[in-house]
Amino acid sequence: MRNVVVTGGTRGLGIAIARKLAADGYRAIAVARQQNDHFAACVQQAEATAPGSLRFAAFDLNDIAFIPKFVASLSEEFGPLHGLVNNAGLGTSGILATLADPQIERLLRLNVTSPITLTKYAVRAMMVGGAGGRIVNISSVVASTGYSGLSVYAASKAALAGFTRSLAREIGPLGITVNCVAPGFVDTDMTGGMKPAQRAQIIRRSALRRLPDAKDVAAAVAFLVSDAAGNVTGTTVTVDAGNTA
Amino acid sequence: MTVRATVEATIVAVAGEHAKALPPLTDDLPLLDSGLDSLCLAVIVARLEDGLGVDPFSTSEEAVLPVTVGEFVKLYEDAAH
Ligand SMILES: NC(=O)c1ccc[n+]([C@@H]2O[C@H](COP(=O)([O-])OP(=O)(O)OC[C@H]3O[C@@H](n4cnc5c(N)ncnc54)[C@H](OP(=O)(O)O)[C@@H]3O)[C@@H](O)[C@H]2O)c1
Repeated sequence: MRNVVVTGGTRGLGIAIARKLAADGYRAIAVARQQNDHFAACVQQAEATAPGSLRFAAFDLNDIAFIPKFVASLSEEFGPLHGLVNNAGLGTSGILATLADPQIERLLRLNVTSPITLTKYAVRAMMVGGAGGRIVNISSVVASTGYSGLSVYAASKAALAGFTRSLAREIGPLGITVNCVAPGFVDTDMTGGMKPAQRAQIIRRSALRRLPDAKDVAAAVAFLVSDAAGNVTGTTVTVDAGNTA
Repeated sequence: MTVRATVEATIVAVAGEHAKALPPLTDDLPLLDSGLDSLCLAVIVARLEDGLGVDPFSTSEEAVLPVTVGEFVKLYEDAAH
């Protein structure tokens, strides 16, 4: 089984991504601070059909200094790393002028510094293996459109898009692809605070008059991780039911 | 295998994988004239960390690559002790 690490793989988009990868024949290793009942039930289900295909690794991705050790421990426990999906993130919203300074720091730390550092060590593990690899960064449509109250979040997601393009060029010669998936609004814990009127407006403005769901995002990630996407790198796949079309 | 032999074997292997023609490895050969590019050097450093358990570059505040093959080997010999 080829190993793919999915950060934030225990809830929301991440759990859908991890389950899809497990179903596609990979070992999905979900990273989060703790497990939850729904995730535990998914692991049980996966065990019945493909033992070992969905696993959990506890780690707080804010602990950037411990990332090298964490990646080494993953390699030790599971073997060579095929892919990394940088999905964990904070969705802090608020008007910039009144956002607390530590909130800005926290958001950039978890959404930018942490995935970049994790990618660094994952790429080194892939260099040891010498068999290429896959990096998928979960950005957002907000990286390229505007949404009041999401300026810092948007900055963090645009950072991932820029990171993706340059890194794709840098490590392309090693057969490692780097891509982004940019979801539109999807119902998860992160977006639970959205007002019904705002949600309805997003649907009304989407070409398909509906919202994408977590499974749609997972399908795009699974494609980019697959062998079929071997010649796709440095790009962004938007999954937003045509909201930004 | 000695540290020197491991380092040299890794350099030769990575150069081969990336189709880089290497001149004979002598201690005074400048790394940048060896035909290896910075990506190859990164792969060599990652492989040596895996093989020798040390990365002499990870402990420094700034990653400064040594100038010659001899200096590169010595960094690993010092770090492995
Ligand atoms: N939902 C949307 O509409 C939408 C749209 C575009 C982009 N996105 C992006 O998609 C990604 C996933 O979003 P989501 O809606 O699925 O979020 P979510 O429901 O809030 O889930 C976040 C996941 O990240 C984990 N996590 C949070 N902080 C962590 C930390 N410090 N260390 C380790 N794990 C941590 C959480 O687990 P624990 O809390 O247990 O650690 C959880 O598994 C994010 O990058 C988000 O920006 C979402």
